[in-house]
Amino acid sequence: MGKPKFYDFCVHAIPDGDNTVEQLATLAMHFGYSGIVIANHSDKLSQSPPLLVSTNGFEIFRGIELIEENPSKLNSLIGKFRKSVDVLIVHGGSETVNKASLENPRVDILNHPSFDKSSGLNQVLAKAAAENGVAIGLTLRPFLHSRGSRRIRLLSALRANLDLARKYDVSLVLSSSAMSCFDLRSPMETLAMAEICGLEQEEALEAMCTVPEKIISRKRLVSGYIREGIEVLKERDYF
Amino acid sequence: MKRLLPSLRGKKRYIAFELISEGPVDRSDLVKEIMSSASSLLGDVISSECDIKVLGFEDWKGIILCSNNRVKETRASLAALTRINGKRATLHIFGISGTVKRATEKFLQIHKVFEPEIETKFRMVEE
Repeated sequence: MGKPKFYDFCVHAIPDGDNTVEQLATLAMHFGYSGIVIANHSDKLSQSPPLLVSTNGFEIFRGIELIEENPSKLNSLIGKFRKSVDVLIVHGGSETVNKASLENPRVDILNHPSFDKSSGLNQVLAKAAAENGVAIGLTLRPFLHSRGSRRIRLLSALRANLDLARKYDVSLVLSSSAMSCFDLRSPMETLAMAEICGLEQEEALEAMCTVPEKIISRKRLVSGYIREGIEVLKERDYF
Repeated sequence: MKRLLPSLRGKKRYIAFELISEGPVDRSDLVKEIMSSASSLLGDVISSECDIKVLGFEDWKGIILCSNNRVKETRASLAALTRINGKRATLHIFGISGTVKRATEKFLQIHKVFEPEIETKFRMVEE
């Protein structure tokens, strides 16, 4: 087994975050990542799609994080963006959104499903996630930026979700959800943080290497992907 | 007082790191932030077991000492560092070694500190 390839599956660039794609990519490369996904929130998309260049084995993927409270509108947004992005993430955080996205097999990841006083998942939703192959996204940024009672609540929600995910065999994705360069952490530090927060070492590794690779390979089979660096883009096929 | 025999001293690990920050950072500010982030993430009891000490810090690079069986915890608490003196900062670990000499040779002399446009751009905005 070679050196594992680490991916950061949720990074926000300008205009959603503070830094440009190039800056984030350089830093992530310096930290030792093999690829990142630029996933801006759907309410803050740039008019002209950024040019994503993958160099020296470092890959930048197109992603999107959908914010929508209404489940039927969310489903139509998923249909609209599914073809043009590599990774489709839903911004979780309410019961209806969690339910709608976990029951839709076209969604790749549901980010931070917890909302106040609840971890956001239960046995029904966990079963649905496992059946539809939707991964649960664990984001690092809230854990870094909160302290005291807020972080304690986040951690206990995480533990509850972890128990459910283990029982029903739901896959997990660990990402930074970075808004700027200063939110990025190197893979080893992310792993250490995840282990402190209750994940096992293998689980954390899987959440940063195996599951992301699986999601990417799923996309490669369908679209006009030819080989690394070459793919067929249709006109107006982006965003 | 007589110094403790080497075989009686606890085993240590030396962490070579670089700091990426918006503005200039003092060693004392860095120490204060590392301690507060460790005690907030791990609690005072486990932080005391980690035995974190900043041995040296200059020119954006430095070495931190910790106990050899609490490396993971120390790493996590260093990762939890977000701000120093009100300015955004990230601590990036080059690697971990058993001696200061090896840590310096293996990591600090080889690795160049990340000198990107990011830092300079931020500084220009501030000015």
